[in-house]
Amino acid sequence: MFNGFSHSVMGASHEKTNLVCQDSSAFKVGDHYAVAVVADGHGSKKHFRSHLGSKFAVEATIEAIDRFYEDREALEANLPANHKLIIKNIEKQIISNWNKKVEKHLAENPVTDEEKSKFTPEEFEAIPPESYYGSTLVAGISGDNYTFGVQIGDGSLVALFEDGRAVMPMEYNESAPANVTASVCNSNAASLFSSFYAPNRKLIALYGSTDGLYTSFGSEHDFLDYHTIITSQLVNIDTFKEIICNNLTKRSRFGTEDDISLSCIYNENLLKDRIDLVNKRVTENKKAAADRKAAMLEKNV
Amino acid sequence: MSNEHVTEPEVNENLNVSPLDDFDTAETVSPAPVSDDSILDFDDDPLSATSVSKKSLVIFFLIDTSGSMKGKKMGELNTVMEELIPEIRRVGEADTEVKVAVLTFSTEVRWMYSTPIPIEEFEWARLRASGVTSMGAAFKELNHRMSRNSFLNSPSLSFAPVIFLMTDGYPSDDYKEGLRELQTNSWYKFGLKAALGIGQEANDNILAEFTGSKDTVVHAYSGGQLAQMIKIIAVTSSQIGSKSMTLSDDTTHELGEEDVFAAKQKLLGQQIQELVSTQTDGDDVPFDTGW
Repeated sequence: MFNGFSHSVMGASHEKTNLVCQDSSAFKVGDHYAVAVVADGHGSKKHFRSHLGSKFAVEATIEAIDRFYEDREALEANLPANHKLIIKNIEKQIISNWNKKVEKHLAENPVTDEEKSKFTPEEFEAIPPESYYGSTLVAGISGDNYTFGVQIGDGSLVALFEDGRAVMPMEYNESAPANVTASVCNSNAASLFSSFYAPNRKLIALYGSTDGLYTSFGSEHDFLDYHTIITSQLVNIDTFKEIICNNLTKRSRFGTEDDISLSCIYNENLLKDRIDLVNKRVTENKKAAADRKAAMLEKNV
Repeated sequence: MSNEHVTEPEVNENLNVSPLDDFDTAETVSPAPVSDDSILDFDDDPLSATSVSKKSLVIFFLIDTSGSMKGKKMGELNTVMEELIPEIRRVGEADTEVKVAVLTFSTEVRWMYSTPIPIEEFEWARLRASGVTSMGAAFKELNHRMSRNSFLNSPSLSFAPVIFLMTDGYPSDDYKEGLRELQTNSWYKFGLKAALGIGQEANDNILAEFTGSKDTVVHAYSGGQLAQMIKIIAVTSSQIGSKSMTLSDDTTHELGEEDVFAAKQKLLGQQIQELVSTQTDGDDVPFDTGW
């Protein structure tokens, strides 16, 4: 049986500039499947409705996944041979859903004079309407013995499979300084996704996060260890969830001041079965971190 | 909309969009709640085992340790670098995590530590001088390490680095080839570059080739000047380097990366020249007199 949680915190930098939180997050536990999803609205001048765009991206994803799982048995029978095509269709469905939500919202809420006032008429005309709502998207989906994920733009997925080791199943794709962040609002968005598929592996926990979390760490090791620690505490989720919320707030406030979202799904039964292994990984990681630090401080001259 | 159209799915009417319902064990969509200091309780947090990183600034020191630096030049440089560390530490106290990487070049090139070290933990290792001036090799090594796959691999966001070159002589290898390679590096392009020539032999034109501007090249002819100039350049460049002129949060006026770089490099040149012009020569003995 899957369980999960999701949480978004607003970054201090957005508080300072009177922006609302641009992130959204969600999870859903279905029948023998679960999905974790986060989205990060771009938040810059021309994406002036991106807080709504991230919410629509999260909703669009869950609706798309639900649609594909209406006939779960058929889907799971086809996944091993046709996972590339199926995942590609899910990505197209997400983008289609998102565009419909944007169109509907825009029809019901035309751009106001105040929103237009920040642009010259020429500047405003040059912005495609879907760009008002631009957002990234990271989603992870798991069934009983497989996991897959899709991503457009910044963000991270971290998985702990049966061996209790935290891994990033999708290669991390930090936008280079000069790159434009890929977005659900791009005209070719459906072709910009990255994805992964991990068959025949039971999942303990899967996390999606916006880049505000990743960038609050000094090393990728620390980032992965963080997820192992969280996993070790999920058996007490009712008491631990407040600690996670507070920690995300702390990371945002004392880190890079960005919004942070974290969404998680986990297999309760497998976690209980492997909790000793996960705790062992936490201890191993702590020792490895101490060894890395000692090596770092060795002088070469 | 120009995105590819596919069949519309059935919308789940039961989707619960609830901004403040965090951690429901059913489905939730949760934009962030408004922050509230009263909810913060960071005690007894097992997650504190992984520390929080601020935006980082790496200061690269490229230091000539060739034989001509022997004696008072190297002695003074070692002393001032030891004194400098606490001053740079203060730059990083507020919002920036400052890290230091030191590359020495003589016959060989060598990093003082195998990775940039947080300034709080950095200890200066006293350098010794011998050999020739492999400046081109140092430029190539810097180019190799100044990468997301190497020294700049921290997930936390980075300011463009500060790169500070100190030398007392003419390169003994093909520095132009090394510089050409380095000039293709984006971190170098957007980094704040400054150089210090030590003594009469240092060639300010070569140093200006490295920094891209004569305004960011200064010269020290004595031990007292060396100490002053190192402090001026290192502290000023790290202050400017860690200044937020980034733009993602500015919703009304957005500058490009190149605008920010140009503004910072210009500011560095102006401030260095202003500070240098206010320094007194003092009465200490020039490097090139007597040794």
